[in-house]
Amino acid sequence: MIASIKDNDELQMNAYYDGELDPASAIEFERRLADDELLKARYDRLLSLRRAVRSLPQFEMPPGLQARINAALDADRPGQAGRPGQAGRLTRRSWSFQALAAAAVFGAVISSSVMLTIERYDQREDVASQIVAGHIRSLLAPQPFDVASSDRHTVKPWFTSRLPVSPQVPDLAAQGFMLVGGRVDVVGHDPVATIVYKHAAHTVSLTTRPAGQSVSDQSIAGYNVRSWNDAQFTYIAVSDLASADLTTFERAFSGGSPAPEVK
Amino acid sequence: MFDEVFLPHMAEAYRLAQWLTGNTYDAEDVVQDAALRAFRGIKGFGAVNARAWSLTIVRNAAYSWLMKNRPKAVVFTDDLSVAEQQELEHEGPYGTRIETPEEIALFKADAEDVQRALAQLPAHFREVIVLREMNQLNYRDIAEITNLPIGTVMSRLFRGRQLLIALLGDRK
Repeated sequence: MIASIKDNDELQMNAYYDGELDPASAIEFERRLADDELLKARYDRLLSLRRAVRSLPQFEMPPGLQARINAALDADRPGQAGRPGQAGRLTRRSWSFQALAAAAVFGAVISSSVMLTIERYDQREDVASQIVAGHIRSLLAPQPFDVASSDRHTVKPWFTSRLPVSPQVPDLAAQGFMLVGGRVDVVGHDPVATIVYKHAAHTVSLTTRPAGQSVSDQSIAGYNVRSWNDAQFTYIAVSDLASADLTTFERAFSGGSPAPEVK
Repeated sequence: MFDEVFLPHMAEAYRLAQWLTGNTYDAEDVVQDAALRAFRGIKGFGAVNARAWSLTIVRNAAYSWLMKNRPKAVVFTDDLSVAEQQELEHEGPYGTRIETPEEIALFKADAEDVQRALAQLPAHFREVIVLREMNQLNYRDIAEITNLPIGTVMSRLFRGRQLLIALLGDRK
C-alpha cells in the first residue's frame, strides 16, 4: 500500500527529528535527506514548527501556588490518607487581593528557597563518585559516548533534545582537547549532560550540573576529579590525566565558552 | 522522599497542567490535586524515574479533573465513531495529498497563532506534543506517562504535527 510506505517515511522522519533513531538508521535517513528534495522540505518544515512551538512563552507557576500546596499537604498529614480528593479541595480563588500580593512576594522567595534547600541535600561527595562511575562505565562500553561527533553543532542539539538545560559544547582541538561526542549520565535521579574530549590517548568526561554544586577536587579510583563553576553550570571533569593537565583543560574550556569567567 | 521526588518537578508539572487544561485556575487545581496524590502515593514510587512518575500523576489528575468539570474537552479516540477514528489515525483530515517542495513553506506564525493552534488540537495529540516539545521527554517516557505503546506515541506525534502544520497553514 502506497499510503503506508509513505507513513513509514513520515514516522521515520519524526523519529529522526526527535533523536530516537538508532545510529545506523539515522545515518541512512541523513543520506536520504541529502538526496530527496521533497523530504528535505518536509523536514525543514518540521524544524520550523519546533522552533515556533518552543519559542512560545513558558507558563510560570503562580507565586502563591507552592505555598498553598504546602498548606494542603500539611492539612493532609494527620492521618487522612483514606479520603482522596477531599482535603485537597482548598478554598480557591477566595483570597483577597491583599493576600494575593503578599503571596506573590513571599511565594517567589519560598519556592526558590525550597528548590535550593533540596539541592543542598545532595550528598556532594556521593555525586563525585557517581560521576566517576559514569566515566568508568563509559570506558568499558564500546565507545565512551552516545553521540559521536567532533562537530559541536551536532552535540549541542543532541543534548538540547534530551535535557531541560544543556551546556555550551566548545571544540577545544586547538588547545589539545578534541571533542569526540557526548552522553547522558544519571546523577541521583537526574539526567545530566556529559561532554567527552580526547587528549592523546586519554579520555576526559566533562559532566555538567546546575551551577553551585561543585565537588571538591580529589582522586577517586585512580581518576582525577576537578570541578569549577560559571554563571550557569557546575562542571566536573574526570580523567586519568594528571591534575595539572586537568587544570589546563579547565582553562581551555573556560576560555572556549562564550561566557567565560576567566579573563 | 516526597520532597525529593515530586517537588523538583513542580514547575514542569504546572506547565503540563496548564497545557492540558488550557487555563491558569484549572492548572492550579490540577497541580494541587496531583501533589496530594503524589504525597499519598509516594510509597508506590519505585525509584526509577521521578520526573516521569510525577508527570504521570499530573497527567492523570488533569484528565480526571477535565472529565469531571469539562467532559467535552476530553475526546479520546476510543469515543469517536469508526470513521472519525480512521480519519484521525490513518488518513488525517488534511489528507495524504502529495505536496511539491515549493508548496512546503516554513512557518512564520506568531506566538498567538501557534498557541491557539495547539489549544485546538484534540487532547490526545496535544498531550504527546506538549510532553515532547515543552517537557522535552523521550518516547519511552512519553509512553510511560500516557500509558500508550511507543508505536502509538510515534503515530500521534506525527499526526499531531501534521494537524498543527495544517492548522497553521490555514491561517495564512
